[in-house]
Amino acid sequence: MKIKMKYIVILSFILVLLPVSQAFAHRVIIFAWVEDGMIHTESSFGSKSWAQNCSITVVDEKNKVVRKGVTDRKGHYSFKIPEKIDSDLVLKLDAGPGHHAEWRLSKEELISTPSKKDIKKEMEKKEELEKAPSVYKIIGGIFIIFLLGLSAKFLKRKKS
Amino acid sequence: MHISEGILSGPVLISGAAMAVAGTAIGLKKIDYDRIVHVAILSSAFFVASLIHINIGPSSVHLILNGIVGLLLGFAAIPAILTALLLQSVFFQYGGLTALGVNVVVMAFPAVMVHYLFLPMIGKSPKLTFLGGFLAGMFAILISSLLLGLALWFTDKNFLETSLTIITAHIPVMIIEGIVTGFCVTFLLKVYPEILPVKKK
Repeated sequence: MKIKMKYIVILSFILVLLPVSQAFAHRVIIFAWVEDGMIHTESSFGSKSWAQNCSITVVDEKNKVVRKGVTDRKGHYSFKIPEKIDSDLVLKLDAGPGHHAEWRLSKEELISTPSKKDIKKEMEKKEELEKAPSVYKIIGGIFIIFLLGLSAKFLKRKKS
Repeated sequence: MHISEGILSGPVLISGAAMAVAGTAIGLKKIDYDRIVHVAILSSAFFVASLIHINIGPSSVHLILNGIVGLLLGFAAIPAILTALLLQSVFFQYGGLTALGVNVVVMAFPAVMVHYLFLPMIGKSPKLTFLGGFLAGMFAILISSLLLGLALWFTDKNFLETSLTIITAHIPVMIIEGIVTGFCVTFLLKVYPEILPVKKK
């Protein structure tokens, strides 16, 4: 019993120590918006885990490279809207092997002057994207796994 | 470790999907009726593990746990990991549905490998059990990194450099997963030996 307690304490200790970061997700996100003649981008792995020093390549509809840059420590990269551009722009983020993301800015977005309300709406969209997975989704996922397990058990029993 | 959508070429995605389907079929066939609950428990652990992030210096890594899933389940790890990856993709946007097959190959196939390589060490003595668990956790990540490099080879064209970058980035994960797997296996053998496919000595 003493040995069991020792292992329970050690395992609990590891599990408590592990989630030291609030950074949750491991998807890659690039978000871009237009403001004051500039294109602003913010790249992250979700939940304020910024994609630092990652390369961004901007291409037009014909896949011609329009601009290249690198994100800063907060995952930001901004640049002036290229002149004489008559195409949608695709911003490609390379956040390491296997971790790529894209964001498309339409022609219309590039030439329009967004109001404060539009920018607020865009920011809300960004926050929604960066949100950590909700507890409901986690519990829902586990529930589905067990449901599938039960179905497998039922099918196997039926077969035998 | 999850490969995002739109990176790999069609043939790589199709090959990955075909291998994942074949592996899943074998896995489903090999699942023991009495062990289905264990498969669900370990699939859930894998599903949640990627949410646990650890900050190491400027970078952030997350747990994968394919080593312990493979060690305890063998071929049944393939459907377990497939289910977890599918749900991670749908619920958390990790990886992508088109890359699901390749992600299954990258994470589940090394899991099966460690089952056959390190299970004989489990239950022999406390030290050997911990070492077997540690090596299983570490080795699974190492092989997954190599497979990830191999999958990206066809797009990056530089297998050695890509693989080295991936392996270097995953060294902390290998050590952490090794320790976690070692402790978990030792702990499970003491308190819940039925989950291990070996007889307690």
